[in-house]
Amino acid sequence: MKGENEGQIRIIEAFLASLIIFSSLIVSANLTVTQNQPENNYLESNGLQALIKLDSDGTLGRYIDERNWTAIRDSLNLVLPAGTSFNLTIYNEKGQLIGVVSNGGLNSENLVSIEYFCASQSSIFHCYILHLKLTVAAS
Amino acid sequence: MRIVKRKNSGQLLIVAALAIAILISSTTAYVYEVSKGERNSQKQCSLNNYILAIKQTTRNTMISSLKNISNGGENTVLFNNLNTITEVLRNTYQFGTCNQNFTLLNNSNYNSGVWLSWNSNPGVSSTYANFTLKIYGVNLNAEVNYQVNVTTNLLAEGFYTPLENQEKFVNITCELYNEGEHALAKNITVYYENLGSWILVNNSNNLSIINYDNGTYSISFQANVSSSTVPVSLHVYDLREIFVQANITCNAS
Repeated sequence: MKGENEGQIRIIEAFLASLIIFSSLIVSANLTVTQNQPENNYLESNGLQALIKLDSDGTLGRYIDERNWTAIRDSLNLVLPAGTSFNLTIYNEKGQLIGVVSNGGLNSENLVSIEYFCASQSSIFHCYILHLKLTVAAS
Repeated sequence: MRIVKRKNSGQLLIVAALAIAILISSTTAYVYEVSKGERNSQKQCSLNNYILAIKQTTRNTMISSLKNISNGGENTVLFNNLNTITEVLRNTYQFGTCNQNFTLLNNSNYNSGVWLSWNSNPGVSSTYANFTLKIYGVNLNAEVNYQVNVTTNLLAEGFYTPLENQEKFVNITCELYNEGEHALAKNITVYYENLGSWILVNNSNNLSIINYDNGTYSISFQANVSSSTVPVSLHVYDLREIFVQANITCNAS
């Protein structure tokens, strides 16, 4: 009688041991999933730094005053990392749309949005609100 | 007497499984905690960049205002422009609600944040204000105090060499500064005074302006002036198109 139950007990013990290890693996996998954020943070940081760099000597504000969208697109293409797609929407201080600058389609994965406030250095003062959406182009 | 040996292999299996599970979980938890610290520093870096962007926008506003005021605009332009960016900032929400207050400098030189001194040497065109930026977000509160000073200085000195028939050959050296650093000029116009009238110096006066590419300029011209001194007025626009003027009196060398 005792020998008949021994096999069943072995199976139960093996099952419990497997369950314990499998549970720990599932918990570990859930923790690593939440670590995909750093890539988005780098993209956001690059985008914000690109706008700051263009605005450091008033170039960005001047281009917007002149409505020179080509120059803005070319400048952003130079400053942003290769393979970055962007869409820049520009509003005046009253919230009216002034222009949109883009270098291609944005894919919905890893889309980052940045809001930037820009003032021009011209003697007639203008300020603008920029919404920059960035994503890494799909390979 | 029979001794029955207990079989504990099943218990050992479960204990071993527990040990492995604890090892895997603790390793993952350690890696997660380390990466959490890195994420927090990245967030702080983004916030610092955002604050830098606001400071830059504020500075551009001060430059725009000084450009306007130095070219004939009212001093109230500075207050109005800073008010505008304060209101627009309240409508942005990158990290939280932004509230920026400002105080224009008032002292013996500055009046409502503006200092224009053009009848002297050095000539000065300047704006100065103090700012307090507060950002209220879901997970953060930040407060930054900073000052913005936009100044264009023009420092000049000169002398003349007497020639025949009240003709005088005038030599002037001037230096242009932006916030204390040497700066280049976009345009220099020279006037001299004779018999109470200011006269524009041009090519008929053999005008020569040498640019040393470091913010220093050497100016020479010839003028017919009856007095024993030659009052000279230098009108300069820097590369930001901010106007400044310096007046000097040239004596015989």
